[in-house]
Amino acid sequence: MTFPKIRIESLGIHLPEKILATEALMASCRNRPGCDFERITGIRERRVADGEYAADLAIGSARRALAMSRYRAEDLDAVICTSISKHNRPGEFDLEPAAAVVIRRAIGAKRALVFDVVNACAGMLNGIYVLQGLIRSGAIRCGMVVSGEQNMPLAETAAREIRHRLDPQMASLTLGDCGAAVIVEASPDPAVGFHQLDLVTGAKHDHFCFSRPSSRGPGGVLVTNPRGLQRKGAEHFPAYLKSALDATGWTVSDLHHVIPHQVSVRAIRQGIKTVERFLGCVLPDYFLSCVDIYGNTTTTSHFLALHEFILRGAIRSGENLLMVSGASGIVISHATLTLDDLPDRYRAFAGKGELP
Amino acid sequence: MRRCRIESFGSSPPRKGFFKWGSMKHAVHAGQLCLDGSRHSRADVELLVNSGVHRDGHVCEPAVAAYIQHALDINVEFQGRRTLSFDLQNGGCGMLNAVHVVSALMASGEIRVGMVVSSEANSDRRPDPGYPYPASGAALLLDISPVPDRGFGHFVFRTRDEHAGLYTSVISLGEKKGRLFMRRRVDELEDAWLSCATEVVEELLDREGLRREAIDLVVPAGISSGFARRLGAATGFPGDKVADLSCRFPDTMSASTFLALHDAVSRGRIAPGGRVLLLAFGSGITVGAATYSF
Repeated sequence: MTFPKIRIESLGIHLPEKILATEALMASCRNRPGCDFERITGIRERRVADGEYAADLAIGSARRALAMSRYRAEDLDAVICTSISKHNRPGEFDLEPAAAVVIRRAIGAKRALVFDVVNACAGMLNGIYVLQGLIRSGAIRCGMVVSGEQNMPLAETAAREIRHRLDPQMASLTLGDCGAAVIVEASPDPAVGFHQLDLVTGAKHDHFCFSRPSSRGPGGVLVTNPRGLQRKGAEHFPAYLKSALDATGWTVSDLHHVIPHQVSVRAIRQGIKTVERFLGCVLPDYFLSCVDIYGNTTTTSHFLALHEFILRGAIRSGENLLMVSGASGIVISHATLTLDDLPDRYRAFAGKGELP
Repeated sequence: MRRCRIESFGSSPPRKGFFKWGSMKHAVHAGQLCLDGSRHSRADVELLVNSGVHRDGHVCEPAVAAYIQHALDINVEFQGRRTLSFDLQNGGCGMLNAVHVVSALMASGEIRVGMVVSSEANSDRRPDPGYPYPASGAALLLDISPVPDRGFGHFVFRTRDEHAGLYTSVISLGEKKGRLFMRRRVDELEDAWLSCATEVVEELLDREGLRREAIDLVVPAGISSGFARRLGAATGFPGDKVADLSCRFPDTMSASTFLALHDAVSRGRIAPGGRVLLLAFGSGITVGAATYSF
């Protein structure tokens, strides 16, 4: 039995307007780490929510996705929220009701099945994987995966608690805020949509990155061993990348763009070198990165990059994309997809002044 | 189409004793019992979903499912067979939502064997007096039923988001290690759940094409004895057809419906070939229902 492919019917991104430069963030650290963080990470600045919270970012992106979609909110059969950061009031982290309930209520998706899927930075791809299963099983026709990441509270705790340049909270200073939403449906054309959605958890390495309330004071912390995470990821992700391409029936020359997880400029460069070593060839310059201006927006980073490079005119209709994600857990995920006319529709919509 | 069935069950009900068990210990205990009772090996598990909401240390990343996968030693390395783990959260309905997702992924050919684990515990040194749930856990090993028409039927979920404020839980980050606060307006909440359950049961029976007589037992979450009685009246089932777990132990939130199912099966209340109607109640507010044929 063959199942239909699913495609991204609409995309919405909500970026806060306020810009915070890396230099200003480093200056806010109580104990300023003795390193050039901007040079090491390649991140110059990021967007930070001012007067908005995680749910507001998610709701903003959901409304933008609906504005471009042919579906109305009440047509959505499911709303899955994949936010990690659920900071919806100062100094609080929401557990219940599910963030998807708050979003459903705000956009008026009266019929939608709602729940949250949480899988660190792989959340949105994981949410699409879940929707794919629900659509293919016939349980639903279309649904929304949405995420709002207000990561700055983690960066603020890091700025208070960091003691030196090798502090495990240093990665918190790479974060940025963003909201992203996609509406997903069965693809009418078998040539377009997601060909492969491949996610795997290597749980033996679950200690390399975790987030929880601080044991030293107020706020939440993100504790990372970036070298360990990168080393383990580099050992294994190229093989999964190749198997995702093989399963799709593509070679590296069939790809038009690769959207890596937007962690830092240096991490992306090292990832490219690792793949080149594994494949034994030099890859074309098709890796897209906007981490220098937006920072690491965790779950939303792939779709923020998709938005950015569609608007810049780099991603065009009908092109083949590969999305690569590494998340704490460790979760390695790959998605291969062929775009329909989404880029053209998105640019046309932006031309009307409907998008940021 | 072959249905998704419960191949094995692991139960970690609330414990009495000096040493408290956290959510991880309950999850791993239930998961281990589940694997021990299964004909599948742990390497067969392709998907592990954790639907617990309140976890040890209020960890929010990585997915607690990854920690459970690690503790149960299910394909923990990247070599060889693989497992995907993630958390699905939807309050008291999370475990039924997770079963629905696993069932859909089986129907779409993505996986053949999946595991759903749920556990709750408040690990705070000074727990909020408003937090009512004892620590507990449950696990299900799910596979594709070898016999047609056995296993889970349809799933129906209804959310009434206008009642979202009746049930909230937050972690306050204002103090070291955070602190969980829960607010429930119990009377209004039970009324809203009952009203929603009436609709959900009607819709489920309608979709299945079943009359009430075709249901051998209604298995709701063990909210309270009074709630179980009112539920029977509201949904049109006689009181003796509604399993009441609340007389055995207090409400255990996300694991409650499946702990009640396990209890009913263990006590022989369901004969082979019997059909049950499962009901879950959660924040949102959301009510979920599904039928299961043994």
